Amino acid sequence: MSNHPSLKAGERAFNVLLLLLSLGVLYEAYRITGFDLPNSAGAFPLMLGAIMIASMVAILWGQRRHTGPGTQGALDEARHFFSEHFPLAIIVFSAMAIGYLFLLTFLGFISATAIFLFVSQVYLRRGHLLTSSIVTAVATGIIYALFKLLFQVYLP
Amino acid sequence: MIKQILATLALSAGALTVASPALADYPERNIQGIIQWGAGGATDNVARSLTPHVEKALGTSIILNNRPGGTGVIGMNQVMQQPANGYTVLYGAENPQLYPVMDLADFDYSAMTPINVIGQGLVVIAAPADSQFDNLAELLDYAHEHPGELRMGGTGAGGLPSTVLAMINSVDSLDVRNVTFGGDGPGITALLGDHIDFMPLSLAGAQDQIAAGRLKGLAVVTKEKIEELPDTPPITQALPDIDSYLPWGPFWTVAVHEDTPDDIVTALSDAYQKGVANEEFQNFLSENGGKSLNLQGEEARQFLERWQSVTAWALQKAGSAKVSPEDVGIPKP
Amino acid sequence: MADSVSYFLMAWLDPSLLMLTAIGTLAGIYVGAIPGLSVTMATSILISFTFSWDVNDALALIVGIYTGGVYGGSRTAILLNIPGAPSSVATSFDGYPLAQKGEAGQAIGLSTVMSVIGGLIGVAVLASVAPYLSDMALQFAPRDYFLIAVLGLLLVGSLATESLSRGIFAAALGAVIGLVGLDQVTATPRFTMGSMQLMGGIHYVVVMIGMFGVAEAFFQLHQLNAKPVRQKVDKIVPSLHLVLKFLPLSIRTSVIGVIVGALPGTGGDIASLFAYDHAKRSIKKPSRPFGTGAYEGLVAPETANNAAVGGAYVPMLTLGMPGDAVTAIIIGALVIHGLNPGPMLMIEAPHIFWFTVGNLVLANIFLLIFGLTGIKVFAKVVELPKAILIPLILVLCVVGSYSLNSSMTEVYWMLGFGLLGYFMKIFRFQMGPVILGVILGPLMDKTYRQAMSSVGDDTGSFLLSLVTNPLSLVLTIAVVLLLLSNTPLKRVLLRHRQT
Repeated sequence: MSNHPSLKAGERAFNVLLLLLSLGVLYEAYRITGFDLPNSAGAFPLMLGAIMIASMVAILWGQRRHTGPGTQGALDEARHFFSEHFPLAIIVFSAMAIGYLFLLTFLGFISATAIFLFVSQVYLRRGHLLTSSIVTAVATGIIYALFKLLFQVYLP
Repeated sequence: MIKQILATLALSAGALTVASPALADYPERNIQGIIQWGAGGATDNVARSLTPHVEKALGTSIILNNRPGGTGVIGMNQVMQQPANGYTVLYGAENPQLYPVMDLADFDYSAMTPINVIGQGLVVIAAPADSQFDNLAELLDYAHEHPGELRMGGTGAGGLPSTVLAMINSVDSLDVRNVTFGGDGPGITALLGDHIDFMPLSLAGAQDQIAAGRLKGLAVVTKEKIEELPDTPPITQALPDIDSYLPWGPFWTVAVHEDTPDDIVTALSDAYQKGVANEEFQNFLSENGGKSLNLQGEEARQFLERWQSVTAWALQKAGSAKVSPEDVGIPKP
Repeated sequence: MADSVSYFLMAWLDPSLLMLTAIGTLAGIYVGAIPGLSVTMATSILISFTFSWDVNDALALIVGIYTGGVYGGSRTAILLNIPGAPSSVATSFDGYPLAQKGEAGQAIGLSTVMSVIGGLIGVAVLASVAPYLSDMALQFAPRDYFLIAVLGLLLVGSLATESLSRGIFAAALGAVIGLVGLDQVTATPRFTMGSMQLMGGIHYVVVMIGMFGVAEAFFQLHQLNAKPVRQKVDKIVPSLHLVLKFLPLSIRTSVIGVIVGALPGTGGDIASLFAYDHAKRSIKKPSRPFGTGAYEGLVAPETANNAAVGGAYVPMLTLGMPGDAVTAIIIGALVIHGLNPGPMLMIEAPHIFWFTVGNLVLANIFLLIFGLTGIKVFAKVVELPKAILIPLILVLCVVGSYSLNSSMTEVYWMLGFGLLGYFMKIFRFQMGPVILGVILGPLMDKTYRQAMSSVGDDTGSFLLSLVTNPLSLVLTIAVVLLLLSNTPLKRVLLRHRQT
């Protein structure tokens, strides 16, 4: 194999983060019952931690000769990563989603859901006020009827 | 499509009629019932037989969920984590009263508000139908000659089997391998498949299987024979000294978060009292070797404290308590 | 015999029972389709309507909901890539790509017919060999469940199409997520970081909704302006030729489903994953490569999870032991109505058995009718502009995870797993193995420790026990064969030969 596939922007960094996570898992597993093998609450978690580390090392090792994402320096790579995977639409939508969760606790289910559905649709569709409000009303109504009335699920 | 809408409407109407008497006040939606043991065991059977009668009295649905694990700590902890609004109730067994002495958790039922102590049950030591043992004495003889070989089904430290084992060990010696299951149900299944040699079980969970000849009763943990299992000898026959711990048995109770408002506690207590008193449920209890208690409020608290002090000190005497009852403030009986 | 037939036909001839089965099936389909609304929940709510009813009415309603609910999960899996229930995870692997190719209608049509075939095979097995099957299920010792869990985890090899190491990592991560909380045996906290909230563990439906639903919604935001795929809505009912072509596969996967379903302790979720793996392994020339919209990849899990319904009734009707959460509720219902669900049920109340069998057949017929109506409308969901669909998906995910426990904690977790899933998707990790780990990790841990205790914590005897019992030996051989056939060992061996 002469030409190695190139890595995505941020790929190596993400894999290293996952490796750190695996080390954390191993440490947490060790804290459960120490190395008290073969039959204890910690035995299986220790094995899982080891497997996570081993497979992640294998992934990183397999990528050692892959060419980089073709960016200049860490800052450029980060910028590249965000422009590729976190375009404005995703960031704004995530912010709306988080806002929705906050609204849920303050406004209750119906108003929060209606506001979220309407605002996010208008944003994502760049307008279409009328259809957005119709969809919002219908969807909120259906969800409310289904969950609250039919299945008596408690909604926030 | 019209059919679908009609069906939905019919169901919604049904839901509304059931919910309507309660719309004014608590409960205005359905309630979650957390069972701290797995499906098919005694606690599960009791909870599922009792709940419909309570639902009728309360005018709402109680959705039962099994959350077994950690001798019931997981289920109890989950209820304690929920808001104190009476919409999550715990269906528990006796085990939480042993959490402090078994070092499983730093709470017991005193950290919750008891709604009802439903009833008390009996224990039978059961073995597979084709077991080489016919009674506990034979099993003990074998275990004395082959220590650490028999496989006992358990439900975790502080579970009913380990408590019974501790009592036996305080008057005799029984060295076994402890195989832990999520509750009576999975344990019975393992007994039926011959994967374990014996298991102390709540009579309410095991009686049918013994009556049908699929399991064998080695001993009932009582002073005398019981009419539900006329062929099974009492445990005192093999171990006369265990007499001092008897009568002893598991119990089932319903509890809610300790900060639950008084009016909700009253509403729940009333509903559960009616439910337990229901004739059909009473029949279920007596047919399954259970004794109805139906205790509320202060009476329930006293019962819980007394049971705890008797059992915890018995465990201490047997040397199997991890923490002395004295250290966690459990008075001597 | 005549009695059996009359009990079998009871639900068919009584208009009110007929109606209840129909309502149950219909309600089940929609409950099953909505992630977070579980069949267990629907059954327990609806059963509370039935106290004053006759026991047969209650049973008819439950049978309907159960059958419809297991099937319903495939709807959202195909249309939105959000499995409505864990047993539909495998359905999304090929079902969703089909919808993306404009074949949502055909996919739903095929999955309906196949679910019914699977369901009927399940009932047939229940009716003919229930006592034998339950005796066989009892033979499974903890070590055998352990081997089944190992077998299941080896499926990573066929689920991880990108790279095996990524698949293994994802499965191990899933297993860690599954183990969070108090240990079942000793009540030791594991991976809880001292948090009381985490002691009860993380609900696997939360992981599923987050990693499939939310992560997918975020991904779709990239193609906001892409024209939605036009759905072909003619030929929704699969041709007889197509059904016959998949019949051998569906019989095999149904048998897998009914056996796994009959084991107390495993159910439709595991059965459908096994079936998917079996299809991938045994079908050499699928209609399309697996994972890109192979009909075979849809047929296998859909037949298996519906066949598992018949299986779950086996231990319940023969031993009085619940095979899963729904059958536990049924046992409760029988007790309320004065019946004694235990090993004597088949002898004392044989009518319950034949009534249930007849009712299951009926429910499957209703499933066929309701499943095949209204598909055109559902298929149009995929044609909705992404800008409308994505906010709706998010709301559905929020409601679904909230209703699990009536608490916001699950919703935050769900969103967190969504973000993690989005990152993992970017870097070519797949979600299937994570869910596999979440489902099988805890089972493996529990059964391993039970098996170890049974042999006195001696590793040597434990390994010996895996090959000295006939059943365990068969499973061990299966594990070894799987290991040799699809994991790195084979590739490593081949690579060495090449170089």
